[in-house]
Amino acid sequence: MSEEPMVIEASTVSKRIGTRDIVSDLSLSVGRGRAFALLGPNGAGKTTTVRLLTGMLAPTSGDVRLFGKALTRSSSDRLRQRIGVQTDGNTYEQLTVEENLDIWGDLYGMPAPRRAARIDELLELFRMGSRKGSVVSTLSKGMRQKVAIARAMLREPEVLFLDEPTAGLDPEASADLLEHLRAVIERRDTTMVICTHQLQGLEELVDDIGIIKGGRLLESGPTDALINARWPDHDYEVVIGRNDLERALQVVGPLVMRAEGQPLDEGCSRLQVTLGAVSAAPRLVAELVGAGMHVFEVTRARRSIRDLYFANVGEGAA
Amino acid sequence: MMRTRHIRTVMRKDFLELLRNKKALAPLVVVPLLLVAVLPTLFILVGGSGPVAKSINGISQFLENLPTGTTPAGLSEQAQAVYAIVIFFFAPIYLLVPVMVANVTASSSFVGEKERRTLEGLFYTPVSDSELVTAKILVSFLPAMGVSWVAFVIYGVVVNGLGYHLFGELVFPTVTWLITAFVIAPLISIFAIELVVAMSQRASTMQSAQGLSVIVVLPVVGLVVSQASGAVMFNSGVALIIAAVLVVIDAVLFRVMVHRFHRERMLVTL
Repeated sequence: MSEEPMVIEASTVSKRIGTRDIVSDLSLSVGRGRAFALLGPNGAGKTTTVRLLTGMLAPTSGDVRLFGKALTRSSSDRLRQRIGVQTDGNTYEQLTVEENLDIWGDLYGMPAPRRAARIDELLELFRMGSRKGSVVSTLSKGMRQKVAIARAMLREPEVLFLDEPTAGLDPEASADLLEHLRAVIERRDTTMVICTHQLQGLEELVDDIGIIKGGRLLESGPTDALINARWPDHDYEVVIGRNDLERALQVVGPLVMRAEGQPLDEGCSRLQVTLGAVSAAPRLVAELVGAGMHVFEVTRARRSIRDLYFANVGEGAA
Repeated sequence: MMRTRHIRTVMRKDFLELLRNKKALAPLVVVPLLLVAVLPTLFILVGGSGPVAKSINGISQFLENLPTGTTPAGLSEQAQAVYAIVIFFFAPIYLLVPVMVANVTASSSFVGEKERRTLEGLFYTPVSDSELVTAKILVSFLPAMGVSWVAFVIYGVVVNGLGYHLFGELVFPTVTWLITAFVIAPLISIFAIELVVAMSQRASTMQSAQGLSVIVVLPVVGLVVSQASGAVMFNSGVALIIAAVLVVIDAVLFRVMVHRFHRERMLVTL
């Protein structure tokens, strides 16, 4: 990670608007081709952070670098040419999908034939080819979000900022959109920054996360590293025969850091153990089988982004 | 350096939006037609007295206070009244057309974009502040002028066509009307647009921005009242003085507007 060139770097960035500190002392970095999710509850400072990282707002203190160059009032217009941003605002509701995209391409100086080809390509990617001539106000919320994201992607930006891309979508539309974003990441070497408080489906999409609350970045880094740092133990669930529970606890006792169990319905019991290392798992199973017990299932209990989020932000915050 | 391509593209977008917004378009057609076609037609057809004149505040008083020699010699009493109304009384009323159109289009273009939550997206594009403001001013100014000049032509057709039997000659346009349509109307449109732009950072709805038109309408109404009371006659001299005052106001407001337009300030109030 540290060897990759950093596309976005923020160091001790703060932003005060009026008398309120919206963002305080925020430092983060995102490498090329990485997908970074900035997570936080409503009002945490996610949108302001995006505006700071894109040079739309000037920090009260601290520095932002994009593509290795300091983001200043004079450089921001030029550097913004290389990024695409989907804000939580709207597209032009009275215009068609094609007009929305075409006008955007024109503003970025794309020649008409390239605009037309790129619009077709993106609408195909988002499976919206048949809605090219539809007025945006006639589309579903999910389709409008896709148009907004397609607009941000039109110029094939090196960095794509997505502010609440799944906001207001039902679970099906949200899953569909995340699948499309995965396709975008796989197709291109695009760096992606996603601000959201919706955690469903993020595991398969993002490499790194940052968790922000009250304008302060609580944690930031590669997802797995953050989860492993917080929960270094290795938790496993082992399904064994119902009558083996007492004996199993005795057998695994010397091998594990923690063990507990409870009977399940279908004539089985569940043994929950914490191992000191992954390498201890095969020995655990061997000991149980060697003691004449039936082992029906062994599952590693993985912590998720959701667990990490709530551990930082607290229950009821999403 | 301003890039005309950016200005053209923002204008294309705004025109497309305006043309598809029937609620915004309706008053741009109906109100001018009422002012430059319906009302003058009624006056010419029924004369300068009677229920139509009485129904509009100030006309009776205006005719009573009309200085001698204002209307061409040789006209009948009824023709003189109609002439005075269509040539003098209606000139400041005509100015309501550019004011109204400029106000509606500028409010829709600046504050409407804020209200519809589309402005932030535009800020992320390579369009500079000066290009954005220029495009938005042109998008408001061109329809205001287009509608005003079409209204001017319609008014001329109505006055000359229907009034010929009364006046015996073509009486429109006069020098005052030419100054009104081609000097004062553009200047007062710019005034109306500048007010909306200057206030666009604070106004959050189109209605609140349109409320600003009162500031522009009041002097126009003052002119109508002044004529009615006999204090001022809207002749070419007065028209040129008004034009000169507007040039100064427009220039000062433009400086204030450019100084005050600040992307970051607008963004944090979205």
